[in-house]
Amino acid sequence: MYYFRLFATYVRVGILGELEYRANFWINIIQSALDLCVALGGIAVVFSHTDTLGGWRQEELLALIGVYFLIGGLIRTLIRPSMIQFMEDVRQGTLDFKLTKPADSQVLVSIQRIEIWRLVDVLISLPVLGIAFLRLGASLGPIESAVFAVTLLSGALIIYSFWLMLSTCAFWFVKVENIQVIFMSMWPAGRWPVNIYPTWLRAVLTFLVPVAFATTVPASAVSGRITGATLIGTVALAAAMLLVSRWFWRVGIRFYSGASA
Amino acid sequence: MEQNPVIQIEELSKVYTVNEREAGLVAAMRSLVKRKTRDVNAVDAISFSVGEGEIVGFLGPNGAGKTTTLKMLSGLLHPTGGSATVLGFRPWERNRDYLRRMTLVMGQRNQLVWDIPVIDTFELNRAVYRIPEEQYRPVVEELTELLELEPLLRKPTRNLSLGERMKCEIAAALLHRPSVLFLDEPTIGLDVTMQRRIRRFITDYNQRTGATVILTSHYMADVEALCKRVIVIHHGKLLYDGELTGLADRFAPFKTVEVKLQNGLDGRPLAQYGELMAHSEGRITLRIPKVDTAAVTGRLLADLDVADLTVQDPPIEDVIEHVFSQSPSPLDAPDPQKIQSE
Repeated sequence: MYYFRLFATYVRVGILGELEYRANFWINIIQSALDLCVALGGIAVVFSHTDTLGGWRQEELLALIGVYFLIGGLIRTLIRPSMIQFMEDVRQGTLDFKLTKPADSQVLVSIQRIEIWRLVDVLISLPVLGIAFLRLGASLGPIESAVFAVTLLSGALIIYSFWLMLSTCAFWFVKVENIQVIFMSMWPAGRWPVNIYPTWLRAVLTFLVPVAFATTVPASAVSGRITGATLIGTVALAAAMLLVSRWFWRVGIRFYSGASA
Repeated sequence: MEQNPVIQIEELSKVYTVNEREAGLVAAMRSLVKRKTRDVNAVDAISFSVGEGEIVGFLGPNGAGKTTTLKMLSGLLHPTGGSATVLGFRPWERNRDYLRRMTLVMGQRNQLVWDIPVIDTFELNRAVYRIPEEQYRPVVEELTELLELEPLLRKPTRNLSLGERMKCEIAAALLHRPSVLFLDEPTIGLDVTMQRRIRRFITDYNQRTGATVILTSHYMADVEALCKRVIVIHHGKLLYDGELTGLADRFAPFKTVEVKLQNGLDGRPLAQYGELMAHSEGRITLRIPKVDTAAVTGRLLADLDVADLTVQDPPIEDVIEHVFSQSPSPLDAPDPQKIQSE
């Protein structure tokens, strides 16, 4: 409850702060709209030649794009700004102020910066998902919806944990800003179902940079395409990564304070 | 020494392992594989205690270990050895109840969020410290009045001058009414007026709340205005712990004698009296070993046409400089005064 209220305060202050930069709002709208056009255009081109892509129908791909924008918006709104700020704090020594606060340092670091305009991606994703769901119609029952919600949440947690682990490396290497570039360059691959990629790339997108779990897996849930094993695996992976990233964070903090040395 | 010390430190030590790299490309490549390391004793077995409501000046040149000590006391660093308790807590366990009662201000670093108005950073701290609304309002009003923050609160941090930012920094650090304050160079880079205002505020806060303060500063004016007691460390070792006024007695084995002459010098050499510090239009300042003061002043009065003569302790800056330039020798000789004070 305390952390929820804390998060709400950060969101409120984030909104107030960003109101100063109204131009950002328009830039983000244009940028997101362009991204969406490219994504939808891609689908249109593909489906003018064929009926399915790697077994995926048009409306399923539409749902995938919705998920891609939703999770991407979350990353750009909250995860990436907070983690970049964290790395900056380590470099400048201002992390000390977060560590002397009577609150969980991981939570404080993870919610510290909110770029509210990036929510445009999230807002765009909603009608896209809505249209996809309408066109899927009958095949989207209550079970599919529940599975979709669970996999979506798991995917988001996997991505968060992944970012946290990458950022935590800043304790040892200080200059790791470029790490986020690796992720952001892999991320657009999530616009397409991973099974259309060659095996090696699919492996990379699944296990090295877990893009697949945040995009392909939730999207495959809406049409009941997902297998039980994948569902359980995704939830288990989310739980495991959350725990491991938490553990790694604590190791990092101990290293930072010289307790492990 | 006090009945109920708020801060108690015993044999506190911190050893850093630093990487050493020789110059040159080959050495740099080699260091990628195997790094040479060296241990640095940043803080070397220092002990002291601070009583409730005291303001203690923590002095030492750059790299003496002041900041390392403050970081250990505020829970940011684990010591390599020794023990410390603050308000009954071991700082580096970072107990929430401890963190809620202390604060750390670093003059060289910002906790205010760069892009948002100052009052919004306050708001974030209010949420983090769970300060109830009925407590928060009066505290903000009080700090606003004492530090004259009114025109600054609505401005984003990036639009503030260094001095304005420091005032807001201090206010942000005190919203939760901490009873222990660690101030690491809170006046660095500020102009004299602003330094004075912040000093006055710290005294005021200390008197009103009875908070315990440890302050580091390179400005002796800060220390003289705020601290009756100073702790001097150098190369991580404790050199002196006691009254500020005792520092000169202990470390400055000389006095400053200022002489005003009636008829100028008439070309007489001064080196026989002592070290010439300043000389202008019949006014000379000499540094004379403490033991010789009486004899030399006698000779001065006999030899020269003296209009006026004053004997003083050297300015505190000179004493400090003297301490740091001759140390760590004062430690080598056993010092009765130090043993007494312990």
